[in-house]
Amino acid sequence: MTEEKAPFPFNMIEGMMPAYPMIAFMGWAFVLIALLVGIFTLSPAQSTFFSDAKAVREGAAAGSAFVEANITRHVIEAWVPQFKFLGLGLGLMGITMALGMIAKRLRRMGQVIVSHFPDDFPAPIPPIPTRVRVFQLSAVMGIMVMLAALIVGIGLATGVVPDYFNNSIANELNPAGPGSALLSQLSIISSYAFWLNPLRMIGMSFLFTAITIALTVIIGTLITQAKMLSRFYAQTSARAAA
Amino acid sequence: MNEVRPPDPTWQMKVYPIFTALGWILVIVSFTIGLFVLAPTAVDYWGRNAKSVRDAANVGSQLLADLGTLAVTPRWLVPLTFLGVASFMVGIALQFSTIPGILKNRGVVMSACFPLIVRYGK
Repeated sequence: MTEEKAPFPFNMIEGMMPAYPMIAFMGWAFVLIALLVGIFTLSPAQSTFFSDAKAVREGAAAGSAFVEANITRHVIEAWVPQFKFLGLGLGLMGITMALGMIAKRLRRMGQVIVSHFPDDFPAPIPPIPTRVRVFQLSAVMGIMVMLAALIVGIGLATGVVPDYFNNSIANELNPAGPGSALLSQLSIISSYAFWLNPLRMIGMSFLFTAITIALTVIIGTLITQAKMLSRFYAQTSARAAA
Repeated sequence: MNEVRPPDPTWQMKVYPIFTALGWILVIVSFTIGLFVLAPTAVDYWGRNAKSVRDAANVGSQLLADLGTLAVTPRWLVPLTFLGVASFMVGIALQFSTIPGILKNRGVVMSACFPLIVRYGK
């Protein structure tokens, strides 16, 4: 019985499948890091920013503790949620990879059983269904979308967000008028979450779809094997009775 | 001995695609509303008006209407997105729910076939 080799690039994807525990754990670690950032960086920044009256914190100049805290809390909120959801996505990808391993082993098990059938019982192994490639691609697509969301988040967190918030709220941000650089930065900052958050969910949807399709492959394999075994039983027991 | 046959088709395998499709519909709707309604409204509201103008917006003004859209829409849109995620999970759970029955049938079928494989097989 020879191991079936998948064509490129699916051979690379299948080569990674046994590493599913590591991928799942990596996803968990990403979410843990998001939690730790929230506890040790974001919470203190929020606490510092809201530690004084509105007039004081909004009147603080660039370089002051209030402005630095304001920058920190907005920068973290630009990239950490995307990082956290990438962690969730890696967990879902680990599940998909594990289901892929199960499907492969079931197919292998079917080949072993069929190899013991008598020669006069034709039992061709069906070709690997196209759905296998679809779920592999869906999983990769999901992770790519979530990585893209993280890259956008990092881009915002290192560009527009710190640039905008590195100003006094009362003396520079609030008086900014239409056409100013500050107001166009504000338009980006106030609008990105409305499309970036659902984009993360589209990435998650690709991963959930990969899991769904992987399960149809497993269930389909189990049913196909059951049909073959039932046919073998019917044919062979008739011969035994004859 | 039970009759040796493949497992019967289950209702879960007919229903789960509905939940998967529903999940996609809800997530795509959320993304579309976010990208084409909320994001442009936010750009218009915050990017084209100074704070003093935004804060002075009167009843009936477009600015106040935009603020209403930006404040209200996410309150139901975000839960709608998560309803889509939950729909995916229900579909997956329905698929998983068919596996115990399939494996139980596998036990019956294999126990019937093993003696025949040993007797007539290679």
